[in-house]
Amino acid sequence: MVRLEPRRGRLIIHAFNRKFEWVIEPRYWRNPIIGVILWLAIPLIIIGISQIFPISVLSLISTLIFANILCMITIPLTVQVIGTGRVNFGPHFFAAIGGYTSALLSKNFGLSPIATLPASFAFGALIALFLSPITIISRGLYFVLITLLLPFILLEIAYWQSEIFGAETGIPGVPILLDTGNVFFDSVAYFYLSFVIVLLFLFFADRVLRSRYGFLMGVINEDEEVAESYGINTAKIKIPTFTLTSGAMAIAGWFIAHYYGSFTGPAWLQPSFLILILLTTTLGGKGAIYGVVLSAYVIASLREITRVTFGELSIVVLFIILLLLLYFLPEGFWGLYRKKRYREYFPSIKIRRG
Amino acid sequence: MLDVKNVKKRFGGIVAVDDVSIKIEKGEIVGLIGPNGAGKSTLINLVSGFYYPNEGRVVFGGEDITWKKPFYRAKKGIARTFQNPRLVGNMTALMNVLYAIICKNGGENLTLHEASAEAIYYLDLFGLLKRRDVLAKDLPIYEMRLLELSRALALKPKLLLIDEAMAGLNPAEAENVSKLITRIREEFDLTIIWVEHVLRILMRSVERVVAMHYGKIIADGTPQEVSRDQKVIEAYIGEEI
Repeated sequence: MVRLEPRRGRLIIHAFNRKFEWVIEPRYWRNPIIGVILWLAIPLIIIGISQIFPISVLSLISTLIFANILCMITIPLTVQVIGTGRVNFGPHFFAAIGGYTSALLSKNFGLSPIATLPASFAFGALIALFLSPITIISRGLYFVLITLLLPFILLEIAYWQSEIFGAETGIPGVPILLDTGNVFFDSVAYFYLSFVIVLLFLFFADRVLRSRYGFLMGVINEDEEVAESYGINTAKIKIPTFTLTSGAMAIAGWFIAHYYGSFTGPAWLQPSFLILILLTTTLGGKGAIYGVVLSAYVIASLREITRVTFGELSIVVLFIILLLLLYFLPEGFWGLYRKKRYREYFPSIKIRRG
Repeated sequence: MLDVKNVKKRFGGIVAVDDVSIKIEKGEIVGLIGPNGAGKSTLINLVSGFYYPNEGRVVFGGEDITWKKPFYRAKKGIARTFQNPRLVGNMTALMNVLYAIICKNGGENLTLHEASAEAIYYLDLFGLLKRRDVLAKDLPIYEMRLLELSRALALKPKLLLIDEAMAGLNPAEAENVSKLITRIREEFDLTIIWVEHVLRILMRSVERVVAMHYGKIIADGTPQEVSRDQKVIEAYIGEEI
């Protein structure tokens, strides 16, 4: 049923009476491969350094895992901002939805992490589908306010129904993903697991942004009325984008719940976490999914460094550093790389070639 | 072709378009004039779907499109330009037109080469071929207006709504734009509604002029008739004189 047909420079896949074509372009593979290898080697570098300097490897690796969690929320957020033309101020709301869903399902119904993954994605997407009309009826400050209120509502519900949601103690007893008994081995394995999830997110985001769908999303991001005058049904693009990317954010909540073995809503629904997410997307660069990964790592490491060195003042110092970064890098980290190649700011065109 | 029936549009207490009926036949080129705040741009927005009327109906090609969305009207063949050029600033001139062509086709049944060739054709029509690799935000206002026109034309419209194509241009440029509009109308067999402030050039280029004042149509006829109409003169110059 599935037949592969290698051709010069491309691979044609015949499956289900349809033809899929994948253009193989090894000349563009160099930078991504170097990036991924460096990324994979980070824990090894840390372990190497810990042999020379006395630092805590476990806390550093948990910082890296936190950076990956940030990536899991900010990559879908970036796609969402492009596809809806609006900045969502409640991404951690969807992450918390995913976290609560998986925690409650596994605690009350004994579901395994593999079963709660699709459940949290589906539930996050369902909630987003109910909320998706806000992408049509509101824009600008109204959209910001509506999305900003959502996490606070969930926070209040978590305190109000504390028997179910556990308020500040959270929902304990969620089965954890990896349990080999060796703490060190576990944390490294968690890093690679979250790394794989982020890589999958990156892959899908890249594919979507380069597709015909991403092409239309780029126009909506620039000017919605111009997009309408081109004959694009903007609602047909905004609603699926909002729904699916919110579902993807819920996967971050799933990972949080199964990584810590519990889910504490009030810890993740804090405005400070939102600020970290928004700063990550902004410092990454406009619509840059790869820049976001870099900025997530920079911000997570800065947070850890300031926490260790400045103690009580850490939050103030962290935000001052981030403000300075915002001031000096208005186009973000990706802007540094893309400054000379502005034409590729938009997703490259990929339509049928004759 | 276009039939606007008793359309009324209110913004709070202000009636921007008050019981306007206008019928436009295929192939006509109609100038829509009037002082500031007369409701010309509101009427254009009502036809292109960016506003919905409080009362009345808009019929295009025999189909009631009063409540249809702008993208539907664009697909049916209504293209427009904006009063302030609204281009995608971070894209080159060529990409702006290319996006319009690909979006119009939904990216299907068209190869990239065909689409680029088509985009280059429309750019060349307006003399923008040399500027194809300049970012839209770096273009001067004259070329922005031409780029908007070529982008609207690339959508292969039946009805083209031009909202102030000559605002902010010097006389020579305005003359050139009006020549180009007359030319594309003949070449592409278009119906055009043209909102304008610069009356001198408009009156030479169009066959029918509709004058609006305070949301109402006060005159409708050939340029000569309208320019001699007492109401129009009063509206433009003021009643006291």
